[in-house]
Amino acid sequence: MTEDPAPRASAAGSRRRSPWGRGSSRQLLALPTFGWTLLFFVAPLSILLLYSFGQMNLITFDVNFGWTLDNYRQLNQSLYVHTVVRSVLLSLGATLGCLVIGYPVAYTLSKQQGRIQTLLLIGVMIPFWTSFVVRTYAWVNLLQNGGPVENVLHALHLSHGSLNVLYSPTAVWIGILYSYLPLMILPLFVSLERIDPGLTHAASDLGASGLRAFRRVTLPLSMPGVIAGCILVGVPATGEYVIPSILGGGKTLMYGNVIADQFFQVGDYPFGAALAMTMMAVVTLFLVVARSGLSRVEDVT
Amino acid sequence: MLRRLPSMVSAFTVLVFVFLYLPIVVVVINSVNADKFLVSWGGFTTKWYAKALNDERIRTDFITSAKVAVASSLISVAIAVAASLWARNARVWSRRALDATTYMRIVLPEVVLATALFIFIRRLHFQLGVTAIVIGHVVFNSAYATVVIQARLATLPISLEEAATDLGASPRRVFQRVTFPLLAPAILVAVLLTLSFSFDDVVSSLFLGGTNAETLPVLLLGLIRISVTPEVNAIAVGVMLITLITFACAAVVATVRGSIGVRSTPQAPDVEE
Repeated sequence: MTEDPAPRASAAGSRRRSPWGRGSSRQLLALPTFGWTLLFFVAPLSILLLYSFGQMNLITFDVNFGWTLDNYRQLNQSLYVHTVVRSVLLSLGATLGCLVIGYPVAYTLSKQQGRIQTLLLIGVMIPFWTSFVVRTYAWVNLLQNGGPVENVLHALHLSHGSLNVLYSPTAVWIGILYSYLPLMILPLFVSLERIDPGLTHAASDLGASGLRAFRRVTLPLSMPGVIAGCILVGVPATGEYVIPSILGGGKTLMYGNVIADQFFQVGDYPFGAALAMTMMAVVTLFLVVARSGLSRVEDVT
Repeated sequence: MLRRLPSMVSAFTVLVFVFLYLPIVVVVINSVNADKFLVSWGGFTTKWYAKALNDERIRTDFITSAKVAVASSLISVAIAVAASLWARNARVWSRRALDATTYMRIVLPEVVLATALFIFIRRLHFQLGVTAIVIGHVVFNSAYATVVIQARLATLPISLEEAATDLGASPRRVFQRVTFPLLAPAILVAVLLTLSFSFDDVVSSLFLGGTNAETLPVLLLGLIRISVTPEVNAIAVGVMLITLITFACAAVVATVRGSIGVRSTPQAPDVEE
């Protein structure tokens, strides 16, 4: 990106005679977004928080707002603890997988030029435009016993007998990895593309080997992309609902499925709310760690 | 073709592209596979397409999805443009407030947002249905649109709009003749992005549709869970074709407009009111 100081300077200097009217009438432009966010984001989340401390009358299905921690205590049951741990591990595993697979691809893309680069970028995006549900469903076909993946592995003598992967955590992991890979590649590409090739040339001129130049120059400079990619993959993957319902076959459930079940099958809204609030806490923790990593990276670069 | 790279990295990239397209190839093949259990190749057929096209429920759900996508996309982009224009001249702390809410709307897991809106709507005795789905989609879609439009706005010099103002154009005219044409590519990207997010969404649509409205992805998920249903592949291929054609048209329009736009931008806007 080119940092052009001119527009910023003129924007600051011309605040008085902005083309966008003056004073309060201009403030109206902010109203729709803040109004929508307040009404349909902040308010619902506040009610969710209230519900999570409430109690459901199982006969009348009314919700009483006592300040009880029972819903959160219920989380201690091994079923829920297992699900939370499994979701976090699957999400971390998929994020790591995306990073390892996505980095070389993003690196290759960043070294291309012009039309080829554009075509490859579109190539990364196109899978997004096929129905997410049906793409995930295709993996059922690919992974089933006697399916194409098993045949290829047999032909390469990498495995014998049945694959037995479908409806297991591995299948869910593959599904998440597959679906979120483009979300890792794109931010990595942006950060790698921005690196001045002169820096790696300088490193090799000063005697660094290709690998060393990569490790000491390219990799540290691409860290903002790494962290952005990890956030874009890790956060939605933790709350994933569709992939485990298709590839987990009702056995490998994730956090999102347990929350949905509370609303659609059990009908215990306060407990569902407590589950949802806990997920928010888990994700916030993840974000705080990622962001502190990001600020440390930005200090260095 | 791939330049200046260790051959291992290039080969790996090719493998990853195979990985990315493998399921799509499976979907396309199975959409014309006559074997109804989809375990092996049973010959070529177009009956799944016929079945999908003649299914009343599939048609209704497709129209519902399209309505939701168009409505949520237009609302999202409109409020995102307004907010981005406001943010450009806003004070630092209010701009930060916008950035923070935008970021939060993007990173909050969708299940949490959907459950929160579900309880909110039930509590206030509003109805679940198309309107509720649109409300939910706008919450995250407007955030994505804001990111896209702010990114474009950051690269545009404000001097063109100032010049128009100095020449006596009203704010509305400045927007019509200067700002909007300059923002058009970003608006197009934001519209396409939000359309496809909305059209493909499952979780919010599932929670907020209730029994009144069902979108296509929700129907597909339901069909898949019950049994092997080959027509879902035909539906997916159909939707993919519609999407690709829309995007191709948009790309053509953007190139044509872009090549005209480059020449017309420096012209002084018409100052007469």
